[in-house]
Amino acid sequence: MHVQRIQPQPTPVPPPDFASATDTAERILVVEGVGKRFGGLVALSDVSLSVGRGSITGVIGPNGSGKSTLFNIIAGTLRPDRGRVFLNGHDTTRASPAQICRNGVGRTFQISRLFGEMTVLENLVAVAHGASDAEAVERALGLLDFLEITGLRDKWGTELSYGQRKLVEIARALMLRPTVMLLDEPFAGINPRLQNRIVDHLEALRQRGLTLFFIDHEMRIVLEICDTIHVLAQGRVIAEGDAAAIRSDPKVQDAYF
Amino acid sequence: MKSLVIIVVSAALAAVIPFVGSEYALSFTVQLFVFVALAYSWNLIGGYAGYTHFGQVAFFGVGAYTGALMMDAGFHWLLAAGAAGLSGALLALPLGGAMLRVKGPFFAIGMFGMARVCESFALGFDGITQGGTGLYLTPVTDLKPLYFVLWAIAFGMVVLTWKLDNSRLGIQLLAIREDETAADALGIRTTRLKIGTFVASAIAPAAVGSLYATYLSFIDPATAFAPMTELTTIAMVLLGGMGTTFGPLVGAVVMSVVNELLWSRFPEIYLALVGAVILAVVLFMPRGIVSFAMRRAWWWVPAARSSLRRLASRPAPSRSPKEAH
Repeated sequence: MHVQRIQPQPTPVPPPDFASATDTAERILVVEGVGKRFGGLVALSDVSLSVGRGSITGVIGPNGSGKSTLFNIIAGTLRPDRGRVFLNGHDTTRASPAQICRNGVGRTFQISRLFGEMTVLENLVAVAHGASDAEAVERALGLLDFLEITGLRDKWGTELSYGQRKLVEIARALMLRPTVMLLDEPFAGINPRLQNRIVDHLEALRQRGLTLFFIDHEMRIVLEICDTIHVLAQGRVIAEGDAAAIRSDPKVQDAYF
Repeated sequence: MKSLVIIVVSAALAAVIPFVGSEYALSFTVQLFVFVALAYSWNLIGGYAGYTHFGQVAFFGVGAYTGALMMDAGFHWLLAAGAAGLSGALLALPLGGAMLRVKGPFFAIGMFGMARVCESFALGFDGITQGGTGLYLTPVTDLKPLYFVLWAIAFGMVVLTWKLDNSRLGIQLLAIREDETAADALGIRTTRLKIGTFVASAIAPAAVGSLYATYLSFIDPATAFAPMTELTTIAMVLLGGMGTTFGPLVGAVVMSVVNELLWSRFPEIYLALVGAVILAVVLFMPRGIVSFAMRRAWWWVPAARSSLRRLASRPAPSRSPKEAH
């Protein structure tokens, strides 16, 4: 398949063969008919969804429903068997994770993937592509301050607690100055106080025009902050809409509650 | 600052040895320089990028043969060393492209196999290399120029590593070592960096291989591709501290001195004693001498990657905290 070259500064020009997403000004991320099997196991069968620019969009679903597979396909770490992914109107289905990242997608990982034998500052500065050392340090310090974790600056990745790692991973993804943030279970396994702090930060980021797309199990938060929620079950989107629509959907109640 | 002082002082000390030291001191230091250059090169790919391997001696050997054949054809030994360095890079480029797709033990052992393949070629193409008989070269009359070229390469590698350690490039290599998948997903150009580092790590060993052949005025496959050279180099880096600026230097000096002392005092059991020393260091300082010292933050130990910390600690009144995204 033809892979469109990724520009450092993406311009939202829709490719001619892609009629259904001509409104890329509105939809920053479009997943079209994506399917993926692992051997005999169908992880995703025909999933389509789109993410509005500047929105907070969540994907929920029971374990094994294909959330992580979908996430990894969007981030480029997995290739779908069929279907396509468009970011800013560019087909990124076959692009490498590094290309997708440089196209404006920052991501965090379900299980912490901080660089352990490096300090928090170094973790951040390592991914400030194109910036000078001084600019990179400046940006890193600004983000640590924004996330209220300045005190962690010189700590080693391995020294941090689980919750601290989640925050540093968000800071590290923000170092890329993304237009879309992919957050893989940012609220899993951390205490409610810290969860609320992260929610506040995410809201603040959205205020600045960032698009947030995340997977989580934490129903309370998902229903509270998401503009749109997609519910996955057995590799299909069984429902989508705002919190009220999801709450009252009988199929969701069946699969999830 | 501390790093610069250490580099300048040790380079100056090493520079006066040919004028004040004995013939023995000279030959000891030549060997030391060879190992310093090898250890620093191995530290680039093994210590920083995290791609440890047992095949560096392939570049040393190929360089030794390239240089020896050129000297045999009448070229000056310095030119031969330059050509040898280039041959190392040229060999590393396709080898890196092919081998760096695999990681961990596969890469480590695969590279060991590559060194054995090169050794077999040196043995097999006896029309060119004289096979197991080896190549005999005209000995150089004055060792001093050779000494200073090796001195320059050894300390050049120290300075290069020091610069790397304080750069973003160095941090990106460490990121590959720590978690390559995450580094890739965060936009670090891992393939390019890995292959580049691998090529850079092959140049000095190949050049030094040629200079070593000049020094011995002889080369044969067993000397050029000796697994002992490989293992000694790796042991030096582990002893001193992988992925640190001064680890390879400290490791090379300590190991050479201990080796020499034990060898002269207890020739029958010296290898067993060297083994015991390495075992003790691995048990008590698993990350090497330099990392051990850095963790304790002794005043005379230069901190790793201090330049970023200095930048971060700089008072910046203009810093706008909410400029984050």
